[in-house]
Amino acid sequence: MATTDPIHVGVLFSRTGITSRVEYSQVLGTEFAIHEINAAGGIDGRELVANYLDPECLPQNYRAMAEKLVQDVRIRVIFGCYMSSTRKAVMPVVEKWQRLLMYPTLYEGFEYSPNIVYTGAAPNQNSAQLADYMTRHFGSRVYLVGSDYIYPYESNRIMSDFILERPGGAKLAERYVRLDANERDFAAIVRDIKDKQPDFIFSTVVGNGTRLLYEAYADAGLDPARMPIASLTTCEAEVSEMEPRAAVGHITAAPYFQTVDREVNSQCLERFRSLYGDAVEPNMCWEAAYFQVHLFAQAMQRSGSDVLERLLPHLLGSDLDAPQGRVRIDPVSHHTRLYPRIGRIDDDGRFVILAESAVGVDADPYLVHHAANAWGIRNVALGDVDA
Amino acid sequence: MPKSGIDRGVAGRMQRSTPDLLRNLRNMRVLVFHPKDVDGELLAQQLERIGCQVITMWPPLAELPEAVDSVFYAVRPDHTPVRCSWTEGEPPVPVIAVINYENPTVVDAALRLGASAVLITPLRPAGILSSLAMAKYQHAALRDSRRRIARLEQKLLSADHISTAKAILVRTRNVSGEEAYRIIREQAMSKRTATEDIARAIIHADGLLSYVSRGQR
Repeated sequence: MATTDPIHVGVLFSRTGITSRVEYSQVLGTEFAIHEINAAGGIDGRELVANYLDPECLPQNYRAMAEKLVQDVRIRVIFGCYMSSTRKAVMPVVEKWQRLLMYPTLYEGFEYSPNIVYTGAAPNQNSAQLADYMTRHFGSRVYLVGSDYIYPYESNRIMSDFILERPGGAKLAERYVRLDANERDFAAIVRDIKDKQPDFIFSTVVGNGTRLLYEAYADAGLDPARMPIASLTTCEAEVSEMEPRAAVGHITAAPYFQTVDREVNSQCLERFRSLYGDAVEPNMCWEAAYFQVHLFAQAMQRSGSDVLERLLPHLLGSDLDAPQGRVRIDPVSHHTRLYPRIGRIDDDGRFVILAESAVGVDADPYLVHHAANAWGIRNVALGDVDA
Repeated sequence: MPKSGIDRGVAGRMQRSTPDLLRNLRNMRVLVFHPKDVDGELLAQQLERIGCQVITMWPPLAELPEAVDSVFYAVRPDHTPVRCSWTEGEPPVPVIAVINYENPTVVDAALRLGASAVLITPLRPAGILSSLAMAKYQHAALRDSRRRIARLEQKLLSADHISTAKAILVRTRNVSGEEAYRIIREQAMSKRTATEDIARAIIHADGLLSYVSRGQR
């Protein structure tokens, strides 16, 4: 192969379907990074060429399309997946064909594949901090509502463990809605919330349902200053879909918000907007999709090859100054060191950062029990900005 | 329902609080008897990811060290077996057999080891955590039911002794069954011992006396 041949990669995010809004931001985060790499002369002079497919949020399509991508012998790396069900569908394909999947989405942990690198948050990088923040500032009586799939189950398990160890901690309800739930479903849940009066609501509703939940909450006249919705998944992409009044005052834990106060971030956002305008709202999944392509390019620059066994040693242990901070891929877990943050949505739909970790927190994807002492580091790591 | 030592938890999505068995996986000290090869390395690495304390050794030790909570054991019939005292009868800790062939010889060897779960090579990282949890649960459940059965057998035997002793008293002392039991209990209380012991003493004495009376005849 000539050293000027292009490098082909696959990109598997959905442009249509339940979670397409945030996934489309991942498409553009990926495309943006590829654009930057090529504009800077490619990888050792070789152009990076992406093959984009739209699996429409269906796991079986993810599997079939991953198969299709690896049939093309030139494609050895795939960037993709949002919901866990879609990652599980792609995993056997990359394992069988010895390809690499880079997965830029927060998820529930308890996974390691030699063929996957995980660049989104594990629960010890968002759930633990959110539970701590919410119980300290609002109380320990929680109402859990989530979409009906594995990520919400696991997130609620962790939140419940945490809550039930707090004095006066109580789980007032644990409700699940279908991924395609409608206004009526959420209106009923919000009525129940109004009756039960929790200290806060923990939402793991994903996709289009997010907007419906927050709007139903606003319609019921509930007060976010007193009883906010706390989430791990509601990011700028979802907020931009809501009526502005519905989002204000609610809280999300994530390693990245647009409002991260770093030069690297503001420059990155400026470059992105000059190319893409407001096609998508940059968010935690967009940022991970963006920086993971740069991590790949940096590793390939060193390895000179995208064959898994040659590329991986250069990818593992590598680091990069990402918009959120300096991230690093852990060689043992294949997960990424990230910067837990807590943000509250203001009148302009932007996240005001209430607390942030001063140092990167390594992922601990097999941590079963997030007791307060299990992340005692938080006192130095996650200082309240407004304290 | 009898209280078992294990928190089974309720499977499914309505229960969202973690059973102790799963919470404590991370604190386990795991001994891996496996040759130093790709599978042995993968196993140790995955156990470390899970958060266990891992020591790998080959060949297996004849005596199990004190501070071990679980054992992964590579079953190798081709390897001259070490005489392991701890694998005879009920293993003191959960054992997960790691087998390389799924034929009757190897599976039989895994069964004789007293394994509570099995993994087959080539190993994958996925499946190791579940096997460890299953083995831990099954081992504890089996130990609990064995203890329970032993307790019940003891109780049954003791009930049997008491009824025999009662019958002896009814026959020799010409008292009612109720009265006979009262005598046994009073004796036990005054001697500060169990009714079972008094019952055995009565049976013993009765045997002795009938032997003596037979001898005199």
